[in-house]
Formats: sequence, C-alpha cells, structure tokens
Amino acid sequence: MNPMENFNSLSAAELAELDRACGWSLNADELAEVQRQFRTMGRQPRRGELETIAQTWSEHCKHKTFSGPVAYRAGGKVKRYKNLFKETIVKATRTLNKKWCLSVFTDNAGIVEFGEGGRWGLAFKAETHNHPCAVEPYGGAETGVGGVIRDILGVGLGAKPVLNTDTFCFGRLDGKKKLPRNALGPERIMRGVVEGVRDYGNRIGIPTAAGGIYFDDGYLLNPLVYVGCAGLIPADKIEKKVRPGDLIVCIGGRTGRDGIHGATFSSANIDEETGSSAVQIGHAVNEKKALDVLMRARDLGLYNAVTDCGAGGFSSAIGELGSETGARVRLERALLKDTRIEPWEIWVSESQERMILSVPKGKLKRLAAILDAEDCEYCVLGEFPGDGRLLVTFGGEPVADLPMEFLHGGVPNFEKPASRRRVKVSSKKPAAPAYWAGALKALLAHPNVCSRRSVITQYDHEVQGGTVGKPLQGRYGDGPGDAAVIWPQAATLDPADMHGFAVGHGFCPAVGRIDPYQMALHSADEAVRNLLCAGADVRRTALLDNFCAASPRDPEVMGDLVQAAEGCLAAALAYGAPFISGKDSFYNQSRDAAGREYPIPLSLLISATAPVKDVRRSLTINFKAAGGALFLAGRSLKGMGGSVYNELKDSGNNAVAGLDLKAAAALYEAVRRAMEAGCVRAAHDVSQGGLAVTLSEMAFSGGLGAEVDLSAVAREKGLSAVELLFGESPARLVVEVEPGREDEFRRFLKGLPAAFIGRVAGNTGLAVSDGGERLFFEDIDVLKACWQKELI
Amino acid sequence: MMIEIWTKEKYAGSEEAGFIGRMAHAGLKVKAARLSRLYRVDGDLSRAEFDRLGRELLADPVSERYSLKPGANGFKGAWRVEVWLKDSVTDVVGDSVREAVADVLGRRPERVRFGRAYYALGPSAAAMEAAVRGTLVNQTVNRFGMEKI
Repeated sequence: MNPMENFNSLSAAELAELDRACGWSLNADELAEVQRQFRTMGRQPRRGELETIAQTWSEHCKHKTFSGPVAYRAGGKVKRYKNLFKETIVKATRTLNKKWCLSVFTDNAGIVEFGEGGRWGLAFKAETHNHPCAVEPYGGAETGVGGVIRDILGVGLGAKPVLNTDTFCFGRLDGKKKLPRNALGPERIMRGVVEGVRDYGNRIGIPTAAGGIYFDDGYLLNPLVYVGCAGLIPADKIEKKVRPGDLIVCIGGRTGRDGIHGATFSSANIDEETGSSAVQIGHAVNEKKALDVLMRARDLGLYNAVTDCGAGGFSSAIGELGSETGARVRLERALLKDTRIEPWEIWVSESQERMILSVPKGKLKRLAAILDAEDCEYCVLGEFPGDGRLLVTFGGEPVADLPMEFLHGGVPNFEKPASRRRVKVSSKKPAAPAYWAGALKALLAHPNVCSRRSVITQYDHEVQGGTVGKPLQGRYGDGPGDAAVIWPQAATLDPADMHGFAVGHGFCPAVGRIDPYQMALHSADEAVRNLLCAGADVRRTALLDNFCAASPRDPEVMGDLVQAAEGCLAAALAYGAPFISGKDSFYNQSRDAAGREYPIPLSLLISATAPVKDVRRSLTINFKAAGGALFLAGRSLKGMGGSVYNELKDSGNNAVAGLDLKAAAALYEAVRRAMEAGCVRAAHDVSQGGLAVTLSEMAFSGGLGAEVDLSAVAREKGLSAVELLFGESPARLVVEVEPGREDEFRRFLKGLPAAFIGRVAGNTGLAVSDGGERLFFEDIDVLKACWQKELI
Repeated sequence: MMIEIWTKEKYAGSEEAGFIGRMAHAGLKVKAARLSRLYRVDGDLSRAEFDRLGRELLADPVSERYSLKPGANGFKGAWRVEVWLKDSVTDVVGDSVREAVADVLGRRPERVRFGRAYYALGPSAAAMEAAVRGTLVNQTVNRFGMEKI
C-alpha cells in the first residue's frame, strides 16, 4: 500500500522511513505533530500538503534551531533560552531602538535610512548557499546571488539593487588530504563558485565589490558561500500589505522540476546519496527583466505586496504573503518549463527568477502592459480571499487544503541541549621567528592574506558607475580595500547628491575554534573598523549576522552558537550597531562513504554598513605622500590565538586577546571625528597577519616605504615582539595623518591609546624597529611580490 | 548545426596557457592546447544563414574565426573534448543567443545550446578522461564527449 494513503496510522519508524524516501527532513516530533493534525482533521494528508508542511517547517524557512529553546550548560550552571535569536540578536536591536532603522527582522531584508530628508531607505541582506555549492559550485553560487538579489527586490515594494557582496570559505587549495569519492576538490569548488558569482552579477548589471575568501580545511567538504546585496528603496515604498481580493501574480521565470526540495535540503547533512535535483542554474537575464518590471510597476503603485520565490517555491512565497488572508491557488495556470511535472512539484518547485505579486484586480491590465513591454512572462495563479485558508488545486482537484494557523504556527520546537566546548589554552610566551622579514613574507603569501586580484578582476565592480571605494585600491589599483564605498546615483538619479554608504565584513572562525564569544566580538569589531577605515560614519552602523555551523544535534555546536550569539549582543550594544537582518545555516557537516563526519568550525560572518556623508571624502588604505605621520590607534594585547602566524608556525601560544568593547567604541568615535575634520589621509585595520602586514599593505599599495619605530605603542605589559608584529589583537588601526596636523590629531585622541610610530618615506624601504632594535627592513616591491601570489 | 568559434592563434596564448596550467595542477601534462566556444543551433536555417550567424553574430572578426565543421582547426592528433550542459539544465547563454539569432535573421530557432571544446596534445586517453572529469565536468549538470582528431 502507498504509505501516503495510510499516513495517519504509520508507526514512528514508518514515518521516518517515509520522510527519508520523500526527502522532507522532518524530525520525529514534527512527523508526529503532522499525523496528529490530520487525525484531528479526520482524513489522510495529500502529498502536496505534506510537501507544503515540510517546506514551511524547514530549517531554511523557520530557523527552528536559532529561534528555538536552548538549555546551555557551562561550569555547572544552566542558562535557559526560550528563543535564542530573540534573546540575543533581536534583543540588541530592540534595546538600541534606533530611529534610523526603518524595517528590521520582518521582511526579506533589513532597511535603514539613507541620505537626508527621509526620502530613501537602504536595504541590506546577506545569506548563504552552501549546500548547493558543495554539489554544483557554479549553479549553486549563481542561484545564491540570484536569490539574495530577489530578497532585495522583494523587500517592501521592491528596492533597486546597487551592490552585491561575496564571502567564501574553501578548503586549502594546497592541501594534501584525500577526499571522499563524492566530494569535489577545493580548487574545483572555488573556480565554480567564483564563475557563478561573476556570471550572475555581471550579466544582471550589479557591481560585485565587497567580500573575502577564507581558506581552512574545515571547509574541505562543506564550502561556505555567503552572498549579499544592498539596494535603495523610496521610504514611502517600504510598507506592503496583501488586501483580500488581490490577485496572485507570478512574474519572471517558468516553473520546472528543478530545485525540488532545496529548502528541506538545507536541513540535512550532505552525504553520498545527496541528489542532483536540489541544484540548478540561474538565469540572470530573466531576473533582470523582472527587476525592470518591478521598478516601473512599483513607482506606478500597481501592486500591494511582493515577495520572492526562494526556498520552498510557491508554497513558501504564497504561504507567506497569504498568511493572514489565506490563498486560493490554481496550479494549472502556472507557466511551465516542462509539462511532465506533478501538481505538488509545481507547488514546491524552486525554479529561479520568480516573484509573487499581490495585485488589485483593477490594476492587472496596466501591469500586464509593462510585463509585455519588458518581455517578462507572467501568470495569474489565483487570489488572496481573506478567509485564512490555503486551498491549492490543479484542474479542480485539491493539492493542499490547510489552515494557515497550523501551517505557520504548528511546528513543534523542543529544547536543544548546549554545552561549552573544552579548549586547552596556552598563554606561554610565543616563540620568535629566526628571521622577521622572512616570517612577514610568508604571512603576505599566506592564502588568507595574499592578493585576491585573480578573483576580484573577474567581477564587474564598476557597472552602475557608483563604486567609489573599490575592492582594489592604491596608487596602482592593486592594494586590498577594507570596505566598498558605493555612491548609488544609479538609483537616486541625482548626481548632485553625494551621499553614499560603505559595506565591510568581519570574519574570524579561527578565533571561534578557541573562544566563540570572542569570535563574535572580533568579527563585529573588524566589520566596524573596516567601515571606519573607509571614512564611514560608524555611529550609524547596521549589522547583519550570518551563522554557519555543523549539526545542531551536537550540544557543543549549540554551545558555540550560544556563546557567539551572546557575543553579538554585547558587541551590538557597545558599538550602538543594531542587527537589521541575518540568516543561519546549519548541518554544514558531511559524511563520507566510510561514515566519517566532517563538520565545519562555527563560522559567523558579520556584514556591516554605515553611511558616508560625502563619497568624495571617503578614505583608502594606501600611503599617500612622503612625510605623512603614522599613528597606531589602539592597544596591542598578548595572545596569538586564531592568528595566521600560528597557522604558519605554531608559536606555542593560542590565547585569544580579549576585546575591550567600551575602549574600542571610544577610540573609534575619536578617530571618526579626526577623519571628519580632515586630518586623516589613509587608514587600514590591523587584522589577518597583524601589524606588520597592515604596514606592508599600506606601503606597497602607495608605492612608498616608511620608517617606523614602535617604541611608543600602547601595549599590554610583557607583550612580545611576535605578538606586536604578528598578533591579531582587535581594535587597532594604522592611520596616516596629514603632515603638520599631528597635534590636531592627538587632541582628538587625547587620553586614548594612539601612538606616533613614524613617517611615510620617500623611498621604497619599509623599516620597522622597536625599543631601539631593528626588527626588519625590506623593500616594498619584494613584499608586494610575495603578496601577489595568485590564488587561481 | 554546430558553429565553433576560435580565438585566432596570435591572440590565444593566454587562454591556452591558463588551460595548460589548470591541467598541470590536475596532474596532466599537456604539450599544446586550443580552446573554442560551441553553439548548437537547432532550427530550419540554411547554410548561408549559419554562415551569417558565425560571421556577424558569434565571432569577433578581429580576434576570432568561426567554422561550421567541428574540430576543423588543424590540431591533428589532439584530444578533442566537448562539454555541454545537460539538455534539462538552464542554459542562459544559449537562451540569449537564441534571442539574438531571432534579431539577426528575423526568426527564432527552435533551440540554441552553448558548450565549450578543449583540444589537448600529449596525454593518454585515461589520463585525459580523468582530468576532464576532475576539472572540466560536473556530471550533475554536464555531459561530455571525447575523441582523437
């Protein structure tokens, strides 16, 4: 007998077997709840109903792990959370209650005020597309980019995308580990992902200009692909509301069998049996047509609400829009790629480039005229009736008939155990290298430090003509930028309006292996510092959190998550920087044919944006002219934990430098004021590789050396030279101050740790000494040659 | 009908070196290489129309040349590998070219698919196939063919 026809009487084991066969990724509690519901309704479920429930209750759509209850055990104490996400990330935003936050955590992206006069909002969103990229990197990355762009198109009544961001994690390209049979090698994955991001972004005409690449063998089988998008929306187009009687209109791509079970796929570990139906190839040209239609129709007020078809397809998009009104859907009206498709497959298909609009009947004709003019296909799938009932049919036959209340509120959530991971920490004095310049050159050539030129130059970061702060900066356009600065005149259409915004990131998984709480602090701090170095007004920083983790069924994975979430709360409050949106991705854990598990380290990408009042005054990292006064702002702390140096050569010290949030916030405000006054010509954060790498990058990007003496640097007592040069303690940046304005700069930073360390030189030598001892002298061309080692 | 587009030899050095380097990274020693783009155009078009598409639409007359005879590049003794997206997989380039063909000829072909061909001199059949599977093809979405010319 077909188990679907006998669902209500199946045993728990039979339900689990059915779940595996259908690829739903529902757990035992959820299956039991579904069974209870249909027993109450007095009938067996239809396939379409079970598929709808699986999609709606998936980790991808419901974020059950992060928004569920957790019991965290550490040092004999238990702390309970009813909703971890609300009690950390959302709490920070609610506590800060910034008036410039226009929409947070309620829509497809967060929105903050942009510019002056309350005319514009800036929408920002980042998410991950990890599992698809592990199976088919090119298609996975393409559809990831397409999906996050649709989030921006589907926020409010639609924002115009002006920037794409990308941050990737791969296994080491030079690694020697033998891969399991089903795995693609890291170089293969990297090439595919880069090409996918390139082709989608370039074809749709959105600059890809902010991101990073991180290598660690923890990502050998589970690459992470974070893609982000920012867009501008008129402030009066942020509110949306489906009205009873509105038509359900699907525009953009056609529906096919591609991408079935993408949402539930994200709730499962990848193994040998992972199927190919969960991945697909994007079609940027179709999405561009939908984008152009939306922008015109939005401004003419031709629809009341819009959202994107992402994971779960129609079932999620129409289900979300109709969560209050209900929805009446006739699937036979859908435009199909292939007629050999089951009705339930139409309902859950994740075919790309589709948007759902809620259109008043009287406005359909005008909308259709725009759709036809843009050569954008559409269909009217049904209407939002206002009775709170989801009724989906195909040719009159029911596919799903469910109460919205059960669909959106019925998912059971259970308390997950979390415990603190035990990590052995050594604080002994780190061993010094025999040859300082040699260690520096090795650091510059390290894959987590070296140039990303071969990747960056594949992306069109100039399209739309507004990329002021470029990914490659400096005298020769080949130095590493800290943050992208965007002048969105392609959206404002006002060339006299010089307002812009900066976007930067912070990412420190190596710190997270030792201390997840500090990882969150370091990541938020790095993101804020990157914005500051670009000349942004960091008092108005808005953050996105993107967590990626292994299986949350492991209490230590949950423990890492709890600590990192608490770190996010602390950092956001200290910097006055609310989280406006975010995403989480779990089950980034692979099993090979032999049954061995390969979990990723907890990975938290903090993306940050802040306004730049006048993009012409934004800053870059390179030394500008001989004679410039160099200052190191911030206090250097002990600890080599999480550093690139420790990857190259184990120093014997893995202690993580703790971040003093209050001191950092005060320092950044003082530096910001100095920048606003025009004292600062260049700024660069101290991050991966440490201070020596920062100085080298500033020098060779400017084609100018420097004479540096670190004697006056504010430092923790007992700090070694290794920690000073190569340690990665947070909250530090190097700034070049206009000659003659040193005293003015000092006044801004009075009482704060900021030391004069030397001057930009007229030659190409970089000399660094400390306490009378010359640590190294090297020609910047030699340093640059080490750094310019190509990745692919 | 298939239209094959080559970069003229005097401009092809960097793409060939890139391919040889990529193969070397996969453990395959390639003495010489050549690359091309493939457009399979299904439709009721005359040979003159295919010629026109190659000449006016698909090949850059300065840096590229085209052929309606696959593999006619004088690269004798080399392996020729064709890589295509499976027919069920979205082909954005193919779709765009189909629209462009309609603009040029005034009628739309039934279908256009886009692929690539790689020519490699030197390796054994087994080594070539292993490198192709490991670097150029993902059998989740691609199909490929290999022959000696």
